[in-house]
Amino acid sequence: MSVSYWRLRDRYYRIIGSICDSCNYESFPKFNTCPKCKSHDISDKEMPHTGKIISYTLSYESMPGFEHELPMSIGLIKLDNGVNIVSQLVDSEAEDIKINANVKSVFRKINADGNSGQIYYGYKFKVINA
Amino acid sequence: MIIPTMKSSTPVYISGYGGYVPKLRLPTSDIAKLWKGSGSGPNKTKSVANIDEDTTTMAVESARNALSMSGLCDIGAIFVGTESKPYAVKPTSTIVAQALGVHNTLAADFEFACKAGTEAMQVITGLVGSGMISSGIALGVDTAQGRPGDNLEYTASSAAAAFVLTNNSKRSVAKIEASTSYVTDTSDFWRRQTESFPRHLSRFTGEPAYFHHVESSVKQLLSEINLKPSDFKYAVFHQPNPKFPIQVAKRLGFTTEQIQPGLLNPIIGNPYSASSPLGLVSTFDVAKPGDRILLTSFGSGAGSDSFSLLVEDGILDKGPNYTPLTDIINNNKEIDYATYTKLRGILK
Repeated sequence: MSVSYWRLRDRYYRIIGSICDSCNYESFPKFNTCPKCKSHDISDKEMPHTGKIISYTLSYESMPGFEHELPMSIGLIKLDNGVNIVSQLVDSEAEDIKINANVKSVFRKINADGNSGQIYYGYKFKVINA
Repeated sequence: MIIPTMKSSTPVYISGYGGYVPKLRLPTSDIAKLWKGSGSGPNKTKSVANIDEDTTTMAVESARNALSMSGLCDIGAIFVGTESKPYAVKPTSTIVAQALGVHNTLAADFEFACKAGTEAMQVITGLVGSGMISSGIALGVDTAQGRPGDNLEYTASSAAAAFVLTNNSKRSVAKIEASTSYVTDTSDFWRRQTESFPRHLSRFTGEPAYFHHVESSVKQLLSEINLKPSDFKYAVFHQPNPKFPIQVAKRLGFTTEQIQPGLLNPIIGNPYSASSPLGLVSTFDVAKPGDRILLTSFGSGAGSDSFSLLVEDGILDKGPNYTPLTDIINNNKEIDYATYTKLRGILK
């Protein structure tokens, strides 16, 4: 596992973003300076694990290491707190993946360093109440 | 000398439970078509983990459901019972702990073939009952392996179940009244280090292994807590196939009606360490306060754990986020054998 992924594991495992202690602006990923009020008083905050699809695409091309998952659905999701997040969409039929569809996060394997290397876990989303 | 039935010195409760079954189903007729030309397995379909699912991901999903129902955060133990760890050396339980945001906790992986999950429940019962910790999560999880063409391939499936055990009676779903365990050295099923698939001695599977151990642990439990099969509303037995739990229930004096709510093998197969724990999840979903439930696991090698559980009022409030196991199981999609081999990395 790369050092950078290990440092950010709470981001990927629990969708930890941040909240500005001055103006309550929430963001994902975490910012060290509030994009809204420029405050440096920032705390970690777990983002909601539910939201709605605001855009999506079905990809037949992949980055190296993801060929086995093609075709791959990727969604732009507005979480229940208004924060946007990009995520792979899994366990969802093509006809159910549409704008305004309700989604929830799931914990999945993202990739692995071959058969003997480490496994990368993280969030993906799936459509619910289709 | 008979090991006495285990009762904690202070009461231990189950305050949350959660099950997880992957969406994909492989019809066993597809397996039979490839290897035998026609027919099917003893179960109609089996659940199959997707390409991005493993024991760790299913453990996290079921644990999140259980923790959400319990509403507890003071978790002092996370024990994952499984025989399909993604890493031979590196705990699954620490990844689960990180995903739950729990750090000041014991964490370990347990292995005892198909009874590792109930073993985790017994150890946490002891830790909670002795006052060493206030709450813990016990999990039974597996992406079960079956060699292509072997009889096990029809039933070996994937699923997870998690239970939050606690000394807090406030949201008790069920009280753990007592449990027992019975083991012998019996080589009915095993997998050597570095081997991908288990082997089994077919004629050992039934009488010397499953029936002897299950009957021994149940009889010992009932004898020592002075209860009889009719004192239980429901019973859950390990389900290596659809027939064994029905047969052992009959031999012990339980009816088919008592085991029906927890009988999942015909539709999801045998998810090894998750088999009887998931049957308990399914039974909890229909249980009412005052119902008594027998839970009995079986693990090859071999052993059996039995529990007497008394359902309490917390069963009536499962929380706003709870999804019944039936809904999870019914949200499924059938795949063919070729897809199955790709998803599970069987063809090398």
